[in-house]
Amino acid sequence: MNLEQVVFYVFAAVVLSSALLVVVSRNLVRSIFLFFITLFSMAGVFVFALADFVALTQLVIYVGGVLVLMIFAFLLSNKHILDNPESLKTKLFGFHNLPAILVAFLFFGILLWCISLAQIDQLAWIQGSAGNTLEVTDNTIHNIGITLMTKYLLPFEVVSIFLLMALVGAAHLARKERKP
Amino acid sequence: MAQISELNFFVTYILVAILLFSFTALFALFAVYAERKVSAFIQDRLGPMETGKFGSLQTLADILKMLQKEFIIPRAADKVLFVVAPVIIFISVYMGFASLPWAPDLIPSKINLGVFYVFAIVSVESVGILMAGWGSNNKYSLLGALRSVAQVVSYEIPAGIAIISAVMISQSLDLQEVSRLQGILTDQTTKFFGFWDVTKVGGIFAWNIFQAPHLIIAYVIYFIASLAECNRAPFDIPEAESELVSGFHTEYTGIRFAFVFLGEYSMMFLVGMFGVLLFLGGWNTPLPNIGSVTLADWTTGTAWGIIWIVAKVLLVVFVQMWIRWTLPRLRVDQLMDLCWKVLTPLAFLCMLISGVWRLLVM
Repeated sequence: MNLEQVVFYVFAAVVLSSALLVVVSRNLVRSIFLFFITLFSMAGVFVFALADFVALTQLVIYVGGVLVLMIFAFLLSNKHILDNPESLKTKLFGFHNLPAILVAFLFFGILLWCISLAQIDQLAWIQGSAGNTLEVTDNTIHNIGITLMTKYLLPFEVVSIFLLMALVGAAHLARKERKP
Repeated sequence: MAQISELNFFVTYILVAILLFSFTALFALFAVYAERKVSAFIQDRLGPMETGKFGSLQTLADILKMLQKEFIIPRAADKVLFVVAPVIIFISVYMGFASLPWAPDLIPSKINLGVFYVFAIVSVESVGILMAGWGSNNKYSLLGALRSVAQVVSYEIPAGIAIISAVMISQSLDLQEVSRLQGILTDQTTKFFGFWDVTKVGGIFAWNIFQAPHLIIAYVIYFIASLAECNRAPFDIPEAESELVSGFHTEYTGIRFAFVFLGEYSMMFLVGMFGVLLFLGGWNTPLPNIGSVTLADWTTGTAWGIIWIVAKVLLVVFVQMWIRWTLPRLRVDQLMDLCWKVLTPLAFLCMLISGVWRLLVM
């Protein structure tokens, strides 16, 4: 096992364990900050997949934007509610958890089944792309820019209009009520 | 052999990281002293005079005092968040230095997305600030953190768009490439204000703000926004002493407080250096070639690069201090008005002009 693999597995382990802690932790604010670790090490995994642009976008959008907004929402709410979020039953697998556990495991099973059905190694485009790989020094942004402006122009524009709508809506909500 | 060279590779990287850390620490020492002396000069005082000649050992004495202080964690604080927060604040700023070039062939990590990387990693700082504000479990800290993050997130928009308008002129996100295109080492035709070919002349005429004059406005926008991102006056409502004691770092003592401060001063240097690299020629010399007196050729090189960039950044840092001690603090609504109604539209205009300039003039 070379060093790159070790670092990759370390990142992957951090992602999985922190994500698990986010779900398990009773302290809501701490689990939000743990989510920060999940997102950050996820960006690290993206770097190892040579998707440096995706990694940085992940940082800007999720860490700098979404996460900060989530923390904001928590900080502006009542601390008392955060500290005691309903008296949950302490048993690990209570009866009330059963439906959720069932759904989760069934979904996991379906995912596994789909992956085994797909036979990823046998797919034509994956076999054909053996020589079509990225180098560490390759500049990916030129590719991204050109494909965004040609192949994916319509989705790109739809997303921009969607964001514009969200902006207009936010500005409308934040506006002062005009006095009659 | 292969293993030894690999080992060398990692040792170099660790050495570079340690060098950068000691640089930020030294800079913070120097900057705190400079801040005191500059503020004293502006307010017609002498500033620190007792410790050492002209008070030059004052910050060293302060650091010694801080190292000896007791760690105090408030009983009601969230201990983990409280302890981790200053480290995250500092590390997010410190990581930004990884992709900033110091000289024509001197850069800690040459990555294709340098500009985007710095912009992304600096936005992590606001998570650290929120962590400190929440972890302290103190009304002043929480309010300070909220104000600080609201301000940083808002001012990221005009700053980002001003950065994009500079990047559109350079056509690269690699900071080394961006700097190279602003001097005599360039492989493209550089034009002063779009009409005078200065490819061989170089110097101050080839800097981005003179290659495309609207970038002067973009730089001013970036500079104002960078002041807000450092939480410095006139944008220091997060730590407004008259209202919030000292904002999100009210509860910190000793070495943790020192870390918060180290983060703040490194941030001043980082945003200054980033602006210098994008707009003010990076490590390029301001002296042009005049006929046979090739000043630009003589003053370009590794050592000269470091000298020029440090000199330029120190000048920018001096202006930051000058503004802090002369302008009064903005009110919250004035702050947001300035960001959303003045800087953001102007930045968009700059971006538009950049596109037209690139297509029609360059």
